[in-house]
Amino acid sequence: MFLALREMRHSKARYSLIMVIMLLVSFLVLFVTGLARGLAYANISAVENMPANYFTVQDDAEHTFRRSQLSEAELAAAMSVVGDGNAATLAVQTSTVTAEAAEVKADITFFAVDMDGMLAPKVVQGEALTNASQGSAIVDSKLEESGIAVGSTIVDQASGMSFKVAGTVEDSSYSHMPVVYITKSDWQLMKGGAAQEGSAQLSAPYNVIALKATSAEADQVAGKLDHVEVITQKQAISSIPGYAAEQKSLLMMIAFLFVIAAFVLAVFFYVITIQKTSQFGILKAMGTKMSYLAWSVVGQVLILSVASLAVSLLLTFGMNMGLPDTMPFQLERSTILLTCVLFIGMSLLGALISVVRVAKVDALEAIGRAGA
Amino acid sequence: MSAMLMMKQVTKNYGDGGRTMSVLNKLDLTVNAGEFIAVLGPSGSGKSTFLSAAGALLTPTSGEIWIDGESLTNKDKRELTELRLQKIGFMFQNAQLLPYLKVEEQLLYVARLAKLGTKESKERAAGLMKRLGIWERRSHYPEKLSGGEKQRVAIARAWMNKPAILFADEPTASLDFERGREVVRMIADEVRSEGKAAVMVTHDERMLDWCDRVLHLENGMLAEHQNTEAATVQV
Ligand SMILES: Nc1ncnc2c1ncn2[C@@H]1O[C@H](COP(=O)(O)OP(=O)(O)OP(=O)(O)O)[C@@H](O)[C@H]1O
Ligand SMILES: [Mg+2]
Repeated sequence: MFLALREMRHSKARYSLIMVIMLLVSFLVLFVTGLARGLAYANISAVENMPANYFTVQDDAEHTFRRSQLSEAELAAAMSVVGDGNAATLAVQTSTVTAEAAEVKADITFFAVDMDGMLAPKVVQGEALTNASQGSAIVDSKLEESGIAVGSTIVDQASGMSFKVAGTVEDSSYSHMPVVYITKSDWQLMKGGAAQEGSAQLSAPYNVIALKATSAEADQVAGKLDHVEVITQKQAISSIPGYAAEQKSLLMMIAFLFVIAAFVLAVFFYVITIQKTSQFGILKAMGTKMSYLAWSVVGQVLILSVASLAVSLLLTFGMNMGLPDTMPFQLERSTILLTCVLFIGMSLLGALISVVRVAKVDALEAIGRAGA
Repeated sequence: MSAMLMMKQVTKNYGDGGRTMSVLNKLDLTVNAGEFIAVLGPSGSGKSTFLSAAGALLTPTSGEIWIDGESLTNKDKRELTELRLQKIGFMFQNAQLLPYLKVEEQLLYVARLAKLGTKESKERAAGLMKRLGIWERRSHYPEKLSGGEKQRVAIARAWMNKPAILFADEPTASLDFERGREVVRMIADEVRSEGKAAVMVTHDERMLDWCDRVLHLENGMLAEHQNTEAATVQV
């Protein structure tokens, strides 16, 4: 590090320039990552925040909740494996609601859940529902922007049923739509009303059964039921309409940013290294070990990438504070850590070609060369 | 007297397959402690090749070389690097100081490589800089130094690790006559005060006053007094 630090001290302009470029790239990486995560969260937070780690879906539903149909019989089978508290049915229905007071419409997703079960919404404002409540709903707080708050009455366009908003929950979105939680009995009413062609007596099916289970238990549930598949929460999330496509494009951008970061750094360092070829020859002739020189190059890259990451983290947090709420942004600690490690890793990869170049310099070049 | 450098039947051939060219041809040389030797020769005679072979930078085609009693044969790259660090001091044409190290740091760097203690190396660096008249310049970057001062720093750097022998490749080439002579005198002074040896390659016959022996590189071999006597007679 003796050489690395002193060289940076001496050529401040040159190394500052590299640092600024790395800073901009790493800022962009962090920022786009935060936006991608924010978008993802705004898309599927209702499923991500569920305490379930597995979902039971019909095996021909291709993991998609809405295509799957399951009944109380499957719920009973699942409960017998994982215990009553660790399995709950979930019914999903996208719809449009109008607020009675305000002249607005909002696209929402109905989640019909057992209000005593593990999927019961965690109310932050207003009151929770019981299974006995009728004509009441808990809504995602984002509906406040449409003028729907505790005490409002919303009307489902498809069924014409009206619900009084009893309370609100936070971070509950499904396919970018705010979630409206209703009771299972209201779900039966809604479905019965919609399919009133003689078969009204049959109970309407649910879509999936959420499980809190070990992988062994999950296998057991899958084995016990015919035409049923047990998928992980991750698989369920990536099958939510729009999620995979959205995340893929953003991931692509992030991947390119990483490649660009590595490339820019590699080229800069390579050019600097080529300029210093004769110096490396002299250093080797004087008895400097190759490992020492390699560490010198790697050390400089490490210092530059860590410093620029630190600054861009500060920038990212500052930027986040100034960002409007309509631009979802989220960076968990684990994502930051992963991004930083990847960025430093890519930088080091870029430094590698310079190290190879230094290794190729022959100490012999020091003798008999007039030019510096 | 112990031999600091010994070269026996050293041959170096260049060439691709059929046509080979012998740059060094069964060259013999012994340099003892306290000796300062000059090697003269026209351009292309193989001076750089000779210095590279003696300085453990180039493996000769055949023959054997000893530095301070240690044979270079059968040493791998790592061992040769270590040997150069501990036993050999180099002076290059144009000084070749590291542009981003201050004068004192140039010396401390090689001491660090050789794992000398901080206090010991600071004292040694101070002693060398004072003897060579660059003490006042110790916290300057090379870009602020004159050509002669740079070569003096190079002398100090070469002696820093107490090498057995110093190899200088045309150390006066980029200096004017007066500065050049001063640099050669300083190399000679250090050889005496350190009790070590030095070999200087040059093509400038006016720089030989302080050399104990002057050798000519001709046809790949070193020959003693030939043109020198003629030169001395002329003066
Ligand atoms: N790597 C090499 N491959 C082939 N030939 C070489 C190589 N290095 C040197 N030579 C040849 O060996 C001869 C001696 O070269 P060398 O550089 O040792 O001469 P020199 O005496 O130092 O010359 P100068 O005073 O111009 O520096 C030259 O004819 C040169 O062309
Ligand atoms: Mg030469």
